[in-house]
Amino acid sequence: MQKLDEDQLENLAADLDAIRNEQMADLGQRDADHIRGIIRLHRTLEFGGRAMMPLGIIPPFLLAGMTSLGLAKILENMEIGHNVMHGQYDWMNDPELNSQTYEWDTICTADSWKRTHNYEHHTYTNIIGKDRDYGYAVLRLEDETPWQPKHLLQMINFINLSVFFQWGVGVHELEFENLRSGDVTLREKAEFLRDFARKGGRQVFKDYVFFPVLTLPVAPVVIAGNVGANLIRNLWASSVIFCGHFTEDAESFTEEECENESRGHWYLRQLTGSSNFTGPGWVYTLSGHLSHQIEHHVFPDIPAYRYPEISPQVQAVCEKYGLHYNSASLPRQYATVVKRVAAFSLPDRMRERLFPEFNEDGGQVVNQDNTRSLVSRLRNRVSNRLSAAA
Amino acid sequence: MLASVSSRQSLKWIGRQISNRENPATYFDPVLETLNPLWVQRYIPARVVSITSETHDSKTLVLKPARRWGGFQAGQHLNLEVEKNGRWYSRPFSVSCAPSRWERDGTITVTIKEVPDGEITPFLLHEFKPGDILGISKAYGGEPLPEPTQSALFIAGGSGITPVLSQLEALADLGHSNPLTLLYFVRTNADVIGAGRLEALSNRLPNLTVRVVASQADPENPEFLNESHLSAVPDLQSRHCFVCGPPGLMDQAQGLLEEAGVPEEQVYSTLFAVGPGVVVTEGGGGTVRFERSGLEVESEGNRRLLEEAEAAGLNPRYGCRMGICHQCSCRKHSGVVINQHTGQVSGHGDELVQLCISVPQGPVSLDL
Repeated sequence: MQKLDEDQLENLAADLDAIRNEQMADLGQRDADHIRGIIRLHRTLEFGGRAMMPLGIIPPFLLAGMTSLGLAKILENMEIGHNVMHGQYDWMNDPELNSQTYEWDTICTADSWKRTHNYEHHTYTNIIGKDRDYGYAVLRLEDETPWQPKHLLQMINFINLSVFFQWGVGVHELEFENLRSGDVTLREKAEFLRDFARKGGRQVFKDYVFFPVLTLPVAPVVIAGNVGANLIRNLWASSVIFCGHFTEDAESFTEEECENESRGHWYLRQLTGSSNFTGPGWVYTLSGHLSHQIEHHVFPDIPAYRYPEISPQVQAVCEKYGLHYNSASLPRQYATVVKRVAAFSLPDRMRERLFPEFNEDGGQVVNQDNTRSLVSRLRNRVSNRLSAAA
Repeated sequence: MLASVSSRQSLKWIGRQISNRENPATYFDPVLETLNPLWVQRYIPARVVSITSETHDSKTLVLKPARRWGGFQAGQHLNLEVEKNGRWYSRPFSVSCAPSRWERDGTITVTIKEVPDGEITPFLLHEFKPGDILGISKAYGGEPLPEPTQSALFIAGGSGITPVLSQLEALADLGHSNPLTLLYFVRTNADVIGAGRLEALSNRLPNLTVRVVASQADPENPEFLNESHLSAVPDLQSRHCFVCGPPGLMDQAQGLLEEAGVPEEQVYSTLFAVGPGVVVTEGGGGTVRFERSGLEVESEGNRRLLEEAEAAGLNPRYGCRMGICHQCSCRKHSGVVINQHTGQVSGHGDELVQLCISVPQGPVSLDL
């Protein structure tokens, strides 16, 4: 990992705290107007989407209804729910925007999310073995985790996780991998399971029972439209979130590196373990401003729409300490995520040769020519085997 | 009847499933707010009809609450809920008119005295104009009016006169005929709130004696509530006594009434601290009250609230213990805390605080 000495870490913390305090002191009407504006847009899109869905027997309406409801779910999950639950708007003292009572439009309960995301993920960001969000326990994304043959097929897990993202997030706290190993028992998860069933049931009831029954003659169309809307949200949310920590240059950490860490070290980890993507303003809004994952991770409770504004200051801090500010366009970042999932699905020795950019030294030693020749060698060997078999 | 109740309940149940919230009625509030602020469901909206000056630092607001408000009893209080620079504040005030006014034309009056350097009263008195909307809570508290057969003594200090005005006007409406006395303590004669209304009340209630005491009229020789004021009230022991004012007056009145032999059950007191009455300890620390568990600890100001709660045997939810995750955010009812992370000093009212990084500055009450 990129390292700083103790003095540098202390100064880094002071510099970032100064940015944070300046923002916190400035909170006011502008932030309240922003979030209410987003809520109005969300209500309009949801209402519009649900109203158009029964007209979905005419295909353009189905598409419009699906998009409208999908966008509504995206806005609610990302710019409203996620950010409100981080306490970004607690200072408004508005019971509707209270981090402790807000419940969002997805399978995962707010309480479960706050435990696994706000606490575990934001405190132990990218620490292998402590941050279960790093790979969601179904993806191997670094070589700290020993390779097993099942990892060869993890691209399928990746696609499934993207498609069924809200369910994946919903059952995340069940710790399926720890249940199987016996580290946790079902009894310990009974309360979680009860809450999960209640919230999951509520969400299924809404999208697949209540609104279809309300529009009975065209229920199949409404069900299809709601499936589509949920799929749009799942694909977008998972893409945004994967781009936050799984990109090529985003670092992961070991527990030893982070023992008794200082505030400065926590800040350093947030800066080097997160990655941003660039795009037009509306993409930022639809990502809940997780386009600025770096800013979000250093300042999780500053209203997120301020991240693009403070990004230059954070970049300047990174520059001052010689830290890499990991930012690129969304397609580029997403491509490196897919590359990482593919790379670490392979046994280490094969990965080191095929994807030298994920090596500790960033692939400096193995040059491009070597790689290419290795790929062609492999290809030859496979085709030889195939022809021999034939 | 039963059918309509159960159908309303099932509608609400469906609303909860669909809107993911306890009160589905508030789901469209942000939209309704821009269409017609009187449709908002989160609080009861009230329109400011007019504002009149009472004294140099107090004004009476005539409010027209949305019809669903539900009315009030004479002498009751309500919270005004206002948004200032994006933050919501809730502050208690007394209704200063009789219920007959609400029944007659759907308006009520609230009389507000400006707290210098206050967070909200200057805002209410200077920023609001007729036509503006503010939120109000349901009416609460208040003491029962004296029965027609009872005689009463009202002791009011400063803006503590406001619920008394409501009670006296209600008694006038009822044609109360037994002896009533009002002892009204103000700093100077320029500080009398509701002078015109008191005069009108004297005409409507011939049985009412009003005595206004300007305690600071002679600053060399201030005149506070004393035995002579009470001994001038005939049949004191048989009267029902209503005391409403700042803490000093309350203590004084309660002591004197007890000495004068007024039975305890005939004395009703409403603490009416002008302003926040906040105590801020310089070095930090103070009494921390955990309201739900009924516990109280003395904080030295060297431990965070989370640690204080745990030391008291409580087990509040927490996560990172370093101010990141907001798992330990807890409702503070009152008191001032300092955020050790930002150095920011909180307000004194109801709001969320992060227990793991907050240290009390003076007495604090928490919803734990």
